[in-house]
Amino acid sequence: MNDVALPRVFLVDDHALIRSGIRVELGSQVELVGEADEVEAAIEMIIERLPDVVLLDVHMPDGGGRAVLESVIAHQPSVKFLALSVSDAAEDVIAIIRAGARGYVTKNIEGPELIEAIHRIAAGDAVFSSRLAGFVLDAFASQNGGAETSPPPFDPELDQLTVREREVLRLIARGYAYKEIATELNIAIKTVESHVSAVLRKLQLSNRHQLTKWATERRLL
Amino acid sequence: MRVVAVLAALFFALGLVVYMTYWILVIRQGEDKSILSRTGSDKREKEILSVGTIAVFSLLLALQILGFNVFGFVTLFLTFGALGALVVWRGVSAAERTHLHTITDSLATMGSATGEGWVGITLRTVVSVVFILVGVSNLSVVSHRPGAASGVVVGATALVLGLIILFAPWWIGTLRGLSRERNARVRAQERADMAAHVHDSVLQTLSLIQRAADNPVEVARLVRMQERDLRLWLVDPESFGVTSDPPNTLAESAFEIEHEVEDTYAVAVDVVIVGDCDLSPPVLALLGAGREAAVNAAKWSEAPSVKIYIEVESERISMFVRDLGKGFDPSEVPGDRQGISGSIVDRMERYSGRATIRSSPGAGTEVELVLPIKTAQ
Repeated sequence: MNDVALPRVFLVDDHALIRSGIRVELGSQVELVGEADEVEAAIEMIIERLPDVVLLDVHMPDGGGRAVLESVIAHQPSVKFLALSVSDAAEDVIAIIRAGARGYVTKNIEGPELIEAIHRIAAGDAVFSSRLAGFVLDAFASQNGGAETSPPPFDPELDQLTVREREVLRLIARGYAYKEIATELNIAIKTVESHVSAVLRKLQLSNRHQLTKWATERRLL
Repeated sequence: MRVVAVLAALFFALGLVVYMTYWILVIRQGEDKSILSRTGSDKREKEILSVGTIAVFSLLLALQILGFNVFGFVTLFLTFGALGALVVWRGVSAAERTHLHTITDSLATMGSATGEGWVGITLRTVVSVVFILVGVSNLSVVSHRPGAASGVVVGATALVLGLIILFAPWWIGTLRGLSRERNARVRAQERADMAAHVHDSVLQTLSLIQRAADNPVEVARLVRMQERDLRLWLVDPESFGVTSDPPNTLAESAFEIEHEVEDTYAVAVDVVIVGDCDLSPPVLALLGAGREAAVNAAKWSEAPSVKIYIEVESERISMFVRDLGKGFDPSEVPGDRQGISGSIVDRMERYSGRATIRSSPGAGTEVELVLPIKTAQ
């Protein structure tokens, strides 16, 4: 473990209190290379310092986290983003994932879980909170039941989840950690990770119109 | 009626004259000279005054000779008023002058929506007065001649144009001011609503937290409660606090369970729901069993949080209640214990559902509830 370089992390949040809280929780488990409290400065510093993972507050003035994400990815596609939010509005979550974030966790996440999530993102995997898993299952749900009402998927490869992926997502939604999921399904942790990454890819690339429609409708709940 | 109007105008005019005379003659508090003596003692001021008076009266005389009937009560009043104002303007002390300046400057911008200043005001006034004079003279001349209708039209048009040019900026300014005021009122109302909400919720909770500072469980409970409350309010401030109806759907009931268990047992409850459906006796039984499982977890597991996952599918509804607490050995729980057998297992079986409890000491507990639903819509 000591030989492995710590992931270089950049923190973007407009609340100083939240930033200091996260700083404390991260401790020495990651290398914090900088932080910013507004969109312009964040974009500039991230492009300059090229961190492995950006912890990104979804809700910020001047276009929010999404503006940071889109500008940086346009310049430096290698920078990975983990979205942090107190908001659970499906619309926001889906939007930030589709804009390119590789994971989403809520701000009340426990310290060790957050560190694990950062390491996972740095390694190129995806991180789903139980709520995001629920959102995804919901968004892709209509493909099984009510086949007559929903239009046929445009791209079956992208517009449907496999049985295994659904199983994995369901366990995440139930609150299982990756290790517990691996034990439960009798597969390797690496396999769990690849399933989640596959779901992330579908979520980002699928043109399923239900995805947007669903996210908008959920807002009315 | 006319008598009243004339008397009022007379008194009004007399009042103005008295006021101005008073202003000119009486020494202002904190000064040693009256305006008149100050003006009178200055040679240059005296010249300006005499030249002004002579010019005004010559103008009036010339107009009278040219055939305009200008000598009358109004003209004389205006003339003396103007001369009085001139005396005041030239004779006031420096302190009073700055005060007068603030009034006249605000006059210049008050009437004009564009804030054009004195040049614009003067230009506009001159143009509009010319229009009005042309209009009035046209009307008064033409009306004596028979059959000159076009003159009336021209006169009336000129008069109206003059009035519009004179008053338009003031009118536009008033309209703008009105809408600005309305916007400000709406904003103030919103701010007041928000302040009231913050006071009723956040500030109250903060004071409760201060009082319960040495009781971490109570603090956690208060914080969770407030967090939920704020979240709801942020998502939908309109309906916040309005709907106290009983829940109508599975999802609404599930969130109600979340709130109830959080408030009662001071643990965090996270609910994730996929799909939704209306309430029916079997669904209510499922929710009742799930609630019991959540309460058990909150009461006995010692875990800081409980996770609830509900998924509605076309042929069944599943509900999972999970904690990472101390767990127990299910085989050692006597079958007559009301909590697990009566409230959870039997309840599910009455609606041909099933309940599975998975737990082992030290590894947490998960209760799985499955309710089959008839495919007939």
